Amino acid sequence: MASMRFRIYRYNPETDTGPRMQDFVLEDVQPGMMLRDALLRLKEQDETLTFRHSCGEGVCGSDAMNINGTNGLACITPLAGLKEPVEIRPVPKLPVIRDLVVDMDEFYHHYRSVKPYLIVHDPEPEVEFLQSPQEREKLDGLYECILCGCCTTFCPSFWWNPGKFRGPAALLQACRFLVDSRDQATAERLEDLEGPYRLFRCHTIMNCVNVCPKGLNPTAAINTIKRLMVKDMI
Amino acid sequence: MNKPEYRRFDTLVIGAGGGGLRAALQLARAEANVAVVSKVFPTRSHTVAAQGGINAALGNVRPDNWHWHMYDTVKGSDYLGDQDAIEYMCRSAAHLVYELEHAGVPFSRLENGKIYQRPFGGQSMNFGGEQAARTCAAADRTGHAMLHTLYQQNIRAKTHFFDEYFAIDLLRDEEGFILGAVVLDIETGEPLVIEAKTTLIATGGAGQLFRTNTNAHINTGDGLAMALRAGLPLQDMEFFQFHPTGIAGKGMLITEGARGEGGYLVNKDGERFMERYAPHAKDLASRDVVSRAIATEVREGRGCGPNGDYVLLKLDHLGEEVLKKRLPGILDLIRTFLHIDPAKEPVPVFPTAHYTMGGIPTNRHGQVVAPVEQGEEVIPGLYAAGECACVSVHGANRLGGNSLLDIVVFGRAAGNHIIEYLRENRYHRPLPPDAVDRPLARLARWDRKGEGESVAGLRAELQATMEEYCGVFRTQSVLDEGVAKILELERRLDDVRLQDHSRIFNTARIEALELENLVALAVATVVSAQARTESRGAHSRIDYPERDDVHWLKHTLFFREDRRLEYKPVTLKPLSVESFPPKERVY
Amino acid sequence: MTFRAQGLRAWLLQRLSAAYLALFTILAVGWLLFGEPVDYAAWRQLLGTPWISVLMALFFMALFFHAWVGIRDVLMDYVPHLKLRLFLLIAVAVLLLALAIWSALTLVSVYRP
Repeated sequence: MASMRFRIYRYNPETDTGPRMQDFVLEDVQPGMMLRDALLRLKEQDETLTFRHSCGEGVCGSDAMNINGTNGLACITPLAGLKEPVEIRPVPKLPVIRDLVVDMDEFYHHYRSVKPYLIVHDPEPEVEFLQSPQEREKLDGLYECILCGCCTTFCPSFWWNPGKFRGPAALLQACRFLVDSRDQATAERLEDLEGPYRLFRCHTIMNCVNVCPKGLNPTAAINTIKRLMVKDMI
Repeated sequence: MNKPEYRRFDTLVIGAGGGGLRAALQLARAEANVAVVSKVFPTRSHTVAAQGGINAALGNVRPDNWHWHMYDTVKGSDYLGDQDAIEYMCRSAAHLVYELEHAGVPFSRLENGKIYQRPFGGQSMNFGGEQAARTCAAADRTGHAMLHTLYQQNIRAKTHFFDEYFAIDLLRDEEGFILGAVVLDIETGEPLVIEAKTTLIATGGAGQLFRTNTNAHINTGDGLAMALRAGLPLQDMEFFQFHPTGIAGKGMLITEGARGEGGYLVNKDGERFMERYAPHAKDLASRDVVSRAIATEVREGRGCGPNGDYVLLKLDHLGEEVLKKRLPGILDLIRTFLHIDPAKEPVPVFPTAHYTMGGIPTNRHGQVVAPVEQGEEVIPGLYAAGECACVSVHGANRLGGNSLLDIVVFGRAAGNHIIEYLRENRYHRPLPPDAVDRPLARLARWDRKGEGESVAGLRAELQATMEEYCGVFRTQSVLDEGVAKILELERRLDDVRLQDHSRIFNTARIEALELENLVALAVATVVSAQARTESRGAHSRIDYPERDDVHWLKHTLFFREDRRLEYKPVTLKPLSVESFPPKERVY
Repeated sequence: MTFRAQGLRAWLLQRLSAAYLALFTILAVGWLLFGEPVDYAAWRQLLGTPWISVLMALFFMALFFHAWVGIRDVLMDYVPHLKLRLFLLIAVAVLLLALAIWSALTLVSVYRP
């Protein structure tokens, strides 16, 4: 079948003085191929091409990258429909370690900062906490996050204040625990998000919603948090 | 290469999937000093891909009892499972699931607020009676929910993580104590020596042995190969589970929960063929049974599609509503990869390499054991848990929903035993000065320059060979040929050269190290399979179609040295209840 | 203008002030379009009416507060240099405060109970 052209961001700090774009041609593109399949075959052409990937089905969140200007997961991005040459860059803003591999420490730091774990003060029962299906349904669209970083690294507010704005992924997690009927740290969680930066840098630009490979809606989550804050205040 | 840095911890956990994280949590809560080394960020470990759920006899949907769960597991294992360990696992299951729920796992719920449970393969009430519903599920993302929760609780417990560090080899002294490991910082390319009083291997399985598999790229059995290189045996490696419903030709997993929710398989005539193979359990028979049935249908010309090389999984009758609520991830997956709507069309599936039943032999405390002249002895300081371990609770065939259970039960058990061990062994043993030489040499081997075979090429050949010569159905001649081919590949490994010799985030080098591991495990698998002249669980021999309890009710132990095989008896005596003696296995 | 109004309050007041500004503007425009065409004296008379005066005062408060939060947000996003940002924030605050005082004085000067 047809061949496809790629332009891929390359940077190896050991040998390169700066980043460059390298052109690749992939022959024999099969129908149904995903971008990750293509990258793996390009890596066979040039072993030094470096990117993270693992599960190949969009659940581990390893292979977030910027594809023709938009963030996405390579493993669930079909080659069909991509404009050529397919331009692939690391996700924006985070420091590049090598090629498409970025240093995600800042991202993980924000994630850890929202206390992404259930906090319960009451004694635990010997069986499960009861939670109605309706209460459980509130977690849908929140718990499925795979921490790929597509949203946060595509959020202008994060570009402007990467150190201070928690970013959509972390705020989605914050919301996941705020709306969990079992969690008992609502006030503390809301207090932690006060201030002009952590939450309120979100200007509902909604890039996060557009790029989330799992179809989640961090903007809605952020609005939920704001609503909970107002409720908490009055 | 610079002289490596040394770090010291009480415990080194290698692998940050469910097993490693559960153990680390137990240890961190006991205020032990734990280092968790993982070649990927913890939530990218393959536990994340587990879908269907975790078994525990909670009895939330239908009456249930841990003892029935035990019976099903023993039967599912084709009586190769050790019944003491199985009893231990099934008895702890409910407690551990409640514990996970308390930790935050977003389980789906029943109207009364309790954890949702669905029927899964091989489950019964009353020791072989009606279908049970024992699998606790968070929609079809149970592994994701569990792994994230366990990681989150480790954040809370302030566990020390070494993310994106690759373990090269274990450190061992003259007396056989394991003293930690040499690991490689992937980002900088520098080795690091982690000294530890106890080391837990929790590196998962080796699904990448096969071309079409449900596993992630990272599932290369690194821990198993490390154990082999440390002179330890691997147990029951011939038992590799083929999941009945991988997406045909692609391999992505479609959970058994799809059949648990009411989906069923049909051949090209539209026949529900499982009724012939398992009249009672039908589509919810054990995985080995269903996989063989599908392979047989295809072999006998009743496969679907232009090449007749798959069967169809029907889900459309369940309705969009149920699919959205109970199998949302599956719905996404099928739409993404097959561009079909399972709410309208059936899904092409075929048995796909899925789970390593074999592994590092351990007892039910997670301690690694090795045979000595009389019985076996514990390897001091070394533990294993999860898919890389062989306790053995899965025997010759694992039941769906038992692997997520296995990792938390034995992750926790290992954690508890390590805490005890640390109490009695307060100090680090001295590290022999030459202990790090061998691991560093393993690393240096890949600095050799020049032309040679490529890692990707050899890996592809290895996977294709394993698939062809060590698949669902096996015969002596095919296995003999397979052994010869794999040994040839092992020899060719020496000709492989890297083109990328840079230090920083060199994934080519990691893949080379992984390939070494895979080749070692392929040898272990085919050699173990070649010797076992019976059909049991996942190991089905066309030339020996029957189970042979007289000669083969025993575990295989494979040693790297001379590819030696030894055998050890199956523990048929449970801890407190009557043994389930081997009997004919029908579903 | 800060009174600990950094996160939630600033956001909430920004929303509330926006609503008021929008409502006021609609009413004012409506008034101008359909109301009496008036001369200077009539304007003074109108603005001197107590309830109009209060609405106007609220309008200016809302306007300046809204402007403050908006400009503060823009500066926080686009001026990463901290000293420069501080300088600009102070400059904006002083300007808005001056405008607020000026509008207050104007309203007071025409006030006729």
